[in-house]
Amino acid sequence: MAAVSFTRGRAWSIPSVWIVWAVIAGGCLFLVIGSIESSLFLQQTISGLANGGIYAGLAVALVLIYRATEVINFAQGAIATFTTYVAWQLIAWGLSYWVAFACTLGVAFLGGFALELGAIRPVERRGSQLTVVIASIGLLILIEGAIGRIWGNQVKFMPAPFPARIYHVGGAAFSLQDLGTIGVSIASVVVLWLFFQFTKLGLAMRAAAVRPHAARLVGIRVSWMLSLGWGLAAALGAVAGMLAASSPSVLLQPSMMDGILIYAFAAAVIGGLESAAGAVIGALAIGVTLNLLGSYVSWITPPLLLPAAFVLMLIVLLVKPSGLFGRTRTRRV
Amino acid sequence: MRLPRSTLFGIGAAVVATVVIAVLPLFLSDYHRSTGATVGVFFTAILALNIVTGYSGQISIGHGAFMALGGYTTAILTHDHSWNDIATLPIAALIGLAAGLVVGLPALRLHGVYLALTTFAVALAVPQIAKNYSGFTGGTEGLALPTHSGLWLYRTSWLVAGIAFVFAWLLLRGRTGRAFRAVRDSEIAAASSGVGLAVYKTLAFGISAALAAVAGSVYVLVNNFVNPDVFGLTLSLYILIGAVVGGLGSLWGVLVGACFVELLPIGLTTSHVSSSQLVPVVFGAVVIAVMAVVPLGAADVLRAALQFGSRTSESVERPLGTTEG
Amino acid sequence: MTRRSKGALAMALISAAVLATVALAGSAATPGVSKSTIVIGGTFPLTGPAALYGVIPKAENAYFQYVNAHGGVNGRKISFKVYDDQYNPANTVPLTKKLVQQDHVFAVYGSLGTAPTLATRDYLNKAKVPQVLVATGDSYWGAQYKKYPWTIGFQPDYPGESRVYGKFIATKVPQAKIGVLMQDDAYGQNYYDGLLQGLGDAKSKVVDVEKYDATQTDVSQQVVKLKASGANVFALFALPTQTIDALVVTTKIGWKPTTFINNVSASPLFMGLAIKSGANVDGDISATYLYDYINNPDTAISKQYTSILSTYDKGGDPNDANNLYGVASAWTMVQALKQAGPNPTRAGLMNALTHLKAVNPFLYPGVKLNTTPAERFPIDQQILEHWQNGAFHPFGHIFAKAR
Repeated sequence: MAAVSFTRGRAWSIPSVWIVWAVIAGGCLFLVIGSIESSLFLQQTISGLANGGIYAGLAVALVLIYRATEVINFAQGAIATFTTYVAWQLIAWGLSYWVAFACTLGVAFLGGFALELGAIRPVERRGSQLTVVIASIGLLILIEGAIGRIWGNQVKFMPAPFPARIYHVGGAAFSLQDLGTIGVSIASVVVLWLFFQFTKLGLAMRAAAVRPHAARLVGIRVSWMLSLGWGLAAALGAVAGMLAASSPSVLLQPSMMDGILIYAFAAAVIGGLESAAGAVIGALAIGVTLNLLGSYVSWITPPLLLPAAFVLMLIVLLVKPSGLFGRTRTRRV
Repeated sequence: MRLPRSTLFGIGAAVVATVVIAVLPLFLSDYHRSTGATVGVFFTAILALNIVTGYSGQISIGHGAFMALGGYTTAILTHDHSWNDIATLPIAALIGLAAGLVVGLPALRLHGVYLALTTFAVALAVPQIAKNYSGFTGGTEGLALPTHSGLWLYRTSWLVAGIAFVFAWLLLRGRTGRAFRAVRDSEIAAASSGVGLAVYKTLAFGISAALAAVAGSVYVLVNNFVNPDVFGLTLSLYILIGAVVGGLGSLWGVLVGACFVELLPIGLTTSHVSSSQLVPVVFGAVVIAVMAVVPLGAADVLRAALQFGSRTSESVERPLGTTEG
Repeated sequence: MTRRSKGALAMALISAAVLATVALAGSAATPGVSKSTIVIGGTFPLTGPAALYGVIPKAENAYFQYVNAHGGVNGRKISFKVYDDQYNPANTVPLTKKLVQQDHVFAVYGSLGTAPTLATRDYLNKAKVPQVLVATGDSYWGAQYKKYPWTIGFQPDYPGESRVYGKFIATKVPQAKIGVLMQDDAYGQNYYDGLLQGLGDAKSKVVDVEKYDATQTDVSQQVVKLKASGANVFALFALPTQTIDALVVTTKIGWKPTTFINNVSASPLFMGLAIKSGANVDGDISATYLYDYINNPDTAISKQYTSILSTYDKGGDPNDANNLYGVASAWTMVQALKQAGPNPTRAGLMNALTHLKAVNPFLYPGVKLNTTPAERFPIDQQILEHWQNGAFHPFGHIFAKAR
């Protein structure tokens, strides 16, 4: 069968990835110059990056699920919130932060695995991707309700993994927490990359996602790979949730991740739904852009900032319909 | 091609349904009539979504945005300019049509999940825009409209739903419908058969948005109030759930879908402060269960019943997402 | 059957039907009131983004159960129906209709949120159903009573509260340069307008106003600009999430203004969260009208408060001022029901609520419940409080008639 490239438009003479990196580099240069010029600009950039770090964690989890199962998981944020509550509960029961953290990762992994087995696989078996998306919406509603039922409505405090230290650079302040959140997101991208590129399991997961039939023929248990994908994504989400909850701008409550999920989707789309690195770049870009727009462009009044993130997403999609680092879709005839 | 039996059955079912819907309010209280009116609103909205997602294969999880356009049109015209309620409906439809065409054009460049997420973005952006231009829209405090009796609301809502249904049925039976289905099943085959992809895909969005806008107008009349929270993400998600539960690519399942998303949560509603949080748990679980047991929706069950076990490949509508390799 | 027995049967059936109709008509006299129960109900955000206020109906329910356990109101037990509207008026309207037409409530009590209350105000007033002690600080409920006589609020309104801050700044903070952070909608505008009114001629002291949208949880961008404007007074009119963030960011960037926090977000619970996240809130000022439970934990009323929560609302944290609000509101409802007498009618309830003169033990001593038919703000007084040594301490005098 001949593969036909279905993307209409000019043929790029320069590989498009280079152009993308050039644009990103240009953006960074703009930020650096602005920061040198004005410490207010620097502060806004840093705060924006910190916000982006919070979105990035969840965005990477979304990308992971999408890569493993080709499904947009609407419940990703709610799962992250649930696991964060589990961490809170363990800490409330007396465990130290890092022990609770580790246990939560385990619980999240098992939970995600079990969710896929129990809730998604029965749906996947006979339905289409859209059916699975609907099931994920059902899961979102279910989990948020369950959180409220189990832990009540009152907002709770989630301690931070980083010591509360503030640094001052060039007239701007940032906390170790801000840095740490961004760092953890980048680290998770690196870890995922290493996992997928260099481990047998990672390779098996990639095969199961892209060519399930062929993968089965070489002995890969495709269904276990899907469950594994959900488990890993849940663990990543748990980390994202715990970091978000401990940041001052997010309170631990059942709807905690609702707003973050929205930006995480936008970030994942901007980066290209199959690229974890793209998701992080997208998230940071959104965070910084919104802060700068809010600060310097007065006609973009606060309610318009959320749509602005999507305008950014739309601009990227119109130029690169599969996101910055997404694979151009080829469709077989 | 349809078996003659199923066409007869279809017409018979439509007549029965119309009679039941027309007569039902006589047996209902004012409150239940209002509820029935809301089912009618979801009927029209799910019908609208079906046109663009079920029939022309373009996934939209943002129909709440089109409903918002219609809803705000009606609210502003009635509240600020003393228009008659019903007279605003055609205007809402026109505005919806325009918006749908506007969204449909860039949508041509996007496929599958990227299109879905773009419509998701539109669904979130519209309430924010409504919040922003609060002088015009009432902002977060919204606009309060005159109340109507349950009977008036029921009749208006189902009259609109009925007109929408007949319109959709006629449209989908004809050349346009065939073109939509061709686009959904295989864009490449459709294009090579001379179907103007851009025209039909955009048209699908436009018509779908027009119907959704009218649904939004009636929604605002039923609740005699509008503010950005009325048209939040939840609404778009519920319409999508209703469309899939009813069965995409089928007009008959729409009624089931509408009843599902409107009546089930109400049926679960409890007045005990401590059990309220169980309602979403049960509803979510039911949605998942329905997807597991009846993934192609109620319409599929209906179809299976009609064919009495003999299922040919062409009479089964292919579900979305399984056509690409 | 013989003709005679058919006739007898017919008579019996007709009599039964007549009696049934009379009985039904009789019980329809005052909806929601029977010999043993009064049914009231309201709509609240128990799930969704505003769910943190969902603790309020739980606290109110706790108080009603306490009253029921101690004899009820004029011999009747209160049945409190709570529906979850998720702060979405499209849910509030049908749920309110349900309360009125299916649950036959005597009154719609405590409904939470401005938009949800506005959405149902027309319907309830048309149907002459009391819409009472609504949980929102908008001024509409007290100001528009001529058009909506069946609606009445409870808490001091937002403009009244910020007027107090304005007056305080004008008189006590010379050389004030005020920076305002407000929500970019009617909620924020309410506080801002009140502040300007309270400032009076000192209006020009406002040097910068920054706004945020409820979907933005991080307000560091705005706080940074406020610091850059040179402000030394920070008027923080935000919801709890953004308030906590603003307090933390203020400390983080080394800004040390005199901060005024709106009452809704100044609950000890939220202040505690801010402190744990690194905020230094010493000296921050707010206003209150509720009993000072934190500093007087051993008084009889504090003990009653905590015991009501621990007995009937087990998840309820006494430090969450929303719980105290709920108990105070429920006390007011019970008081009004008592005043409405042994044969309460809806009109009688409104009459009681517009002739309210009572001392609510759950309010700050000296703050009284006071309404007249022309003055329909049940609570009109507040006292300023500032944060010291880990808690808010009221200071100064009670600001009366902050209108």
